Amino acid sequence: MPELTNKIREVARDLLQQKKVDLVIGFARGTTPMCSTPCFVRQDGEVNGLIWDSFCENNLAKYLVKRSDKIAIIAKGCDARAVVELIKENQISRDQVVIIGVPCQGMVDRGMVRSALEGNEIQEVEEKDDRLIIKGKNFEKVLNRNEFLHPSCKVCTHRNPVIYDILVGDTVKELDTEPYLDVAEFEALTPEEREEYFSKEFAKCIRCYACRNACPLCYCQECFVDCSKPQWIGKTTEASDTAIFHIMRAFHLAGRCVECGACERACPMGVDIRKLNRKLTKDVKERFDYEAGLNLEEVAPLSTFKPDDAEEFILHP
Amino acid sequence: MIVESKDWKPKIVAFLCNWCSYAGADLAGTSRIQYPPTVRVIRVPCSGRINPFFILASLQHGVDGVLISGCHPGECHYLTGNYSARRKFVLLKSLLEHTGLEEGRIQFSWVSASEGVKFAKVIAEVTEKVKALGPAKKLVKSKT
Amino acid sequence: MTNSDNENLTPIPAEGKVGAVMVVGAGVSGIQASLDLANSGFKVYLVDKGPAIGGKMSQLDKTFPTNDCSMCILSPKFIECATNPNISIITGAQIDSIDGEAGNFRVTLLQEPRYVDVDKCTACGTCAEYCPVNILDVYNEKLATLKCIHIHLPQAVPAASVVDPAQCLFTKRKACQICVLVCKNKAIDFHQQERKMEVEVGSVILAPGYEAFEPQLQSQYGYPKLSNVVTSLEFERILSASGPYRGELLRPSDRKHPKKIAWIQCVGSRDTTCDNTYCSAVCCMYAIKQVILSKEHNSELEAVILHNDIRAYGKGFERYYERAQNTPGVRFIWSKVSILKETPETKNVVLRYRVNGTEVKDEEFDLVVLSIGLTSTDGHRQLANKLSVGTNQYGFCESPGFSPTETSRSGIYACGVFHAPMDIPDSVTMASGAASLASQLLSDQRGTLIEEKEYPSERNVTREPPRVGVFICHCGTNIARVVDIPKVVEYAKRLDGVVHTEENLFSCSIDSVTHMAETIREKGLNRVVVSACTPRTHEPLFQDALRSAGINPYLFEMANIREQCSWVHTRDGEIATRKAQDLVRMAVAKASLLKPLYQLPYDITYAGLVIGSGIAGMVSALTMANQGFKVYLVEKDKELGGIARRIQNTIEGRDVQTYLQKLIQKVHKNPLIEVHTEANIVDFSGYVGNFTTKIAEGAERKVKEIAHGVTIVATGAEEFKPAEYLYGQDPRVLTSLELEEELAKNSEKFKDCHSLVMIQCVGSRDSERPYCSRVCCSLAIKNALKLKEINPEMEIYLLYRDMRTYAFREDYYREAADKEVKFIRYDVDDKPEVEVVTENDQSILRVTVTDPTLGQRLMVDADIVSLSTASVPSTDNKELSQLLKVPLNEDNFFMEAHMKLRPVDFATDGIFMCGLAHSPKFIDESITQAQAAASRAITILAQKTMKASGAICVTDKWKCTGCGVCQEVCPFSAIEVEAKEKVAVVNEALCKGCGVCASSCRSSALDIGGVSDQQTLTLIQAL
Repeated sequence: MPELTNKIREVARDLLQQKKVDLVIGFARGTTPMCSTPCFVRQDGEVNGLIWDSFCENNLAKYLVKRSDKIAIIAKGCDARAVVELIKENQISRDQVVIIGVPCQGMVDRGMVRSALEGNEIQEVEEKDDRLIIKGKNFEKVLNRNEFLHPSCKVCTHRNPVIYDILVGDTVKELDTEPYLDVAEFEALTPEEREEYFSKEFAKCIRCYACRNACPLCYCQECFVDCSKPQWIGKTTEASDTAIFHIMRAFHLAGRCVECGACERACPMGVDIRKLNRKLTKDVKERFDYEAGLNLEEVAPLSTFKPDDAEEFILHP
Repeated sequence: MIVESKDWKPKIVAFLCNWCSYAGADLAGTSRIQYPPTVRVIRVPCSGRINPFFILASLQHGVDGVLISGCHPGECHYLTGNYSARRKFVLLKSLLEHTGLEEGRIQFSWVSASEGVKFAKVIAEVTEKVKALGPAKKLVKSKT
Repeated sequence: MTNSDNENLTPIPAEGKVGAVMVVGAGVSGIQASLDLANSGFKVYLVDKGPAIGGKMSQLDKTFPTNDCSMCILSPKFIECATNPNISIITGAQIDSIDGEAGNFRVTLLQEPRYVDVDKCTACGTCAEYCPVNILDVYNEKLATLKCIHIHLPQAVPAASVVDPAQCLFTKRKACQICVLVCKNKAIDFHQQERKMEVEVGSVILAPGYEAFEPQLQSQYGYPKLSNVVTSLEFERILSASGPYRGELLRPSDRKHPKKIAWIQCVGSRDTTCDNTYCSAVCCMYAIKQVILSKEHNSELEAVILHNDIRAYGKGFERYYERAQNTPGVRFIWSKVSILKETPETKNVVLRYRVNGTEVKDEEFDLVVLSIGLTSTDGHRQLANKLSVGTNQYGFCESPGFSPTETSRSGIYACGVFHAPMDIPDSVTMASGAASLASQLLSDQRGTLIEEKEYPSERNVTREPPRVGVFICHCGTNIARVVDIPKVVEYAKRLDGVVHTEENLFSCSIDSVTHMAETIREKGLNRVVVSACTPRTHEPLFQDALRSAGINPYLFEMANIREQCSWVHTRDGEIATRKAQDLVRMAVAKASLLKPLYQLPYDITYAGLVIGSGIAGMVSALTMANQGFKVYLVEKDKELGGIARRIQNTIEGRDVQTYLQKLIQKVHKNPLIEVHTEANIVDFSGYVGNFTTKIAEGAERKVKEIAHGVTIVATGAEEFKPAEYLYGQDPRVLTSLELEEELAKNSEKFKDCHSLVMIQCVGSRDSERPYCSRVCCSLAIKNALKLKEINPEMEIYLLYRDMRTYAFREDYYREAADKEVKFIRYDVDDKPEVEVVTENDQSILRVTVTDPTLGQRLMVDADIVSLSTASVPSTDNKELSQLLKVPLNEDNFFMEAHMKLRPVDFATDGIFMCGLAHSPKFIDESITQAQAAASRAITILAQKTMKASGAICVTDKWKCTGCGVCQEVCPFSAIEVEAKEKVAVVNEALCKGCGVCASSCRSSALDIGGVSDQQTLTLIQAL
């Protein structure tokens, strides 16, 4: 990890010194351990604030929209996919952004780490290969990082950035797990079981919209939940209002979701938001053979069609 | 289990495209083909006009079934509106059913202007399916 | 129309020509010609001898090769005709006589009594319910019955009943008259008599169509004796959802599903035993269509087509044919066939045919369909005689020159099957072509006889609270018998915003509509709901009442309580009444939110751009310039003329080069045509009415900017140069076009030629180009006849797959056979071989082919081998399609908006196509298509201003993020994201208001006038 950090700083310094960009968006160490945080570097002297570790979980593409300056962005697989989508959706132009790709081993879920430590206060976390060496007052514990990855990272199939201008570090091996196994398992439940599951999940929601705010692809001037003309749904936490909010939030990401998991990480109530997105991701892949954010040329699945798209769902009495 | 009253008749909203399915409904009428009185029609220019929110708003309002019907593939008055609609709807239907909405609450069909008989059959079949499901409860806004 | 006799329909103009046209025959071609002319500023009298417009096409189930529903695509044109104030539809009428000359004809029509006042009849159908007399349903080919007073077909225009006087009890013996008693609108009038009408017109277009061949004239078909032998037209009705069996595929004898059907081709066509020796041009394709549709009805069905060559020569036809061939259970058998017998117990039919040339086979079928030909009748001949218009030996209209739309009489034009057997797109094309000639003749009278209704200025209602008026229609008893109208009225009174309610016996009758306008004014209504029948037919009528009353026509909503209520829930009045209340409630809720919409006018650039200067390009340029419009003709070569420069004669013997030179001269001499040679398009922008094109011209590529209102693509096609059959390796192997050129240059050389082999389908109908090039069969025959003329002793072998000499070209095929040209059919999997062998020190060009009738290899030593090579799309098409944003089909020809009914239009308004750029075709067909493209273009250039539709997309710039999904889904390229501001901009001239964009927009930044998100949500909440 320190090597990657150094390389990132080098690249950032060069870009800023040569005035190729006005801004580098990357990660800095947070105020507490395991809380790396987005950071904006404008001067070459500040590049040493940039770091790379197992806690760079935010999707930095979120910060690219509505800007006019030239930006370099540190991009994991999912960040790069989000950048691709934003370029395709005219939110940033390709020549406005320098993508510094960083192959990703999956980010570690600090919540899981904390619960593994049963309340002991963590003072320092060191990383060596796949090991997390956790130090606190009177204790030191070694954990295998791969057992503590975020749920989204566990099923990630694009850890290497698909598009980049500069690649920092060596590419990593992609997971060869069966894709969408998680979705298939849930699909196997009865409709009643699924409904019960979602009712419980949605009941937790407090309509704070943190999920929406964290999503790199939610950039509408006015979100449908705030729209009053027409008022698509009520603003209450009544069950149907909440359910429709989540359903439409996911639907608006159909064929666009890059599976970064930012929504779920942002949720203060622990709603299983990705369960909706993953279903759409699977459907889009299976029906339209499309994965979001992999290709600048490919037209989004809901912006195009094939005359012979499957239509087994059409009623033929 | 709630026992439904025997005379419960489902209320179904049908979004019909103006050029094919609405015309098919007209032909069912001029041909005097009888079908269940369960459907209220909302005429739209094209199946492609139907915003997913229209479907959700209908469900939230408490309709027992939603039918969307457009021109057959290749026959869209607006060339490709039904193709766009088809992609949108298959995902929405799948997502709603993923969250536990009963299969059959929302239905899609292609009915051309000459298919009066088919229109009546579609209505009969949707009505039967919805009847079997009973009154809608999921995604219905509670009246408090 | 009133019933006074001998009325004069047209005021006589002070001098000169008359700006009106009579179109005789209201099938699809007559309808198209009428619409083009009415939209180009001419008054049109559309005359048909039947009770309703629509012709044969209205009887078809689906159409090839897209399987579009025939009535679905035709009935919008009916409504266009019915609502166009400049088209007078005159049914039940025929021409009695004609005087005058081009520009000023006086036509006398004889109209038979309908016994129904078309203006009063609302087509409610009550009369038919009570009529005691059942008659055979002509529309359903007599496979069903209907009442003696009836509506001809469900979508009939005029929408009015008609009495069959031959069977009516009153007309026969003064009995009954129950229809008169039950008609609430007093529309039935047995006092009507035959009447004469005189009409002044500047031109006449003949589109009387055809009659289907009557197989009973030939005993060998067992028709109509055998109940399971039906004609193809009867079979269309059987397949049709609105047909006698309601779309179920049944056979007549026992109404059971047939499991095995045979189609017999060429019934009444290509037959020397009857007078019809020509090919009817459409039967192969409609039979294939019927096979495909039958298989859709029943996938287990066995289908056999017994044919003598499949003539799938049109655009997209070969693929359609292939699709049928690849369908399991479908057999195409190339054989003569006879009907052997009917099996008495089953009523099945046994056919006898040959397989592999020699073996005789008998096979039993549940149903046999006779693919009957298209014929002219005595009626057609009489019409031609009355008008002094020449016909050919078969009674079809003959054109003296290159342009098929012209007849032998100046000012009278022809289109559709009256000219020659042809399919729907060719008929529609020809109709537009004929219209353009009439328009050209009368261009100085454009606009002189058309009516524009005057309306009061609109009251601004936007600040007023809704004041809704609800008009509830009884429709005679159609609604009132089932729905409790007073109850619905009481209910409507209590709805929010409703300030006026009333019930009408017929809301659509003239007095009701007039009264409605008065009520709107008197009561200050600002929204109107009519609760009656379907808005698809009646909305325009009521909207007109709103305009007459001085409010915006879009402040109108209908509740369809007839088609969706009384007619479909007839047995339960209470439920129907409740549903009617629901529908009225919904309509009122939506009406309250309606906003005025405006059709924004914008100016037009009165000029056309024609890309390509072959015959098609030049004809379209001249047709526009002759009507006073500036035309820019852009050609990439140095010279005008295109591929026609290489063609000497047509098969009919017309001299192409003389025609071409005259045409080029006319173009150069026309002051309104600006010719740019060695020029190509480098940039293209704009929309219908206002395009801007940049061309680069000459060696120095000088860029010029052209402003124009319409665009015609006529980029032609090229000759395919094959890499097989030793072409390019042996000088004795030529393409058929090269052979034609050689024949013209040096015919002497062929006197010593003993043996010549022609090979068809070189580069056509293969995996790389799975289309038929249409003209090559006739081109080969033309060359063969010419060679036989030079040297009658010459051995000519013509190796073919299917001879596709459609329509009257069949006669030349027969002539060639009579002159002993040897026709050998080869299979695509066993192609002929061409090789050079050396025998006795001589290099011999040897052709080997399997003779299918003998099953042996046949060897011919040829002096010359002529290859009928494909017509291939211009290599420039791709670039041009990208520049113009118009599509190409899979073969790289340009793709029309609709294969059947918009054959020369692109989906993008204001851009048209003609000639070989569209698909391979003959010169006369290119000329017709060029005239058609010009006609379509002139419907735009004839307008004073263009009007964008009112119900279109509007954007909210603040909400829009410029993501571009709307731009991608818009079928009409009407939206573009403005790069700087990142907002979607709608081109109002191109938007059709389909709403695909609005439903795709995640930000709700787009909305559609008249079906807004808010209005629809309100409707949902009112459910």
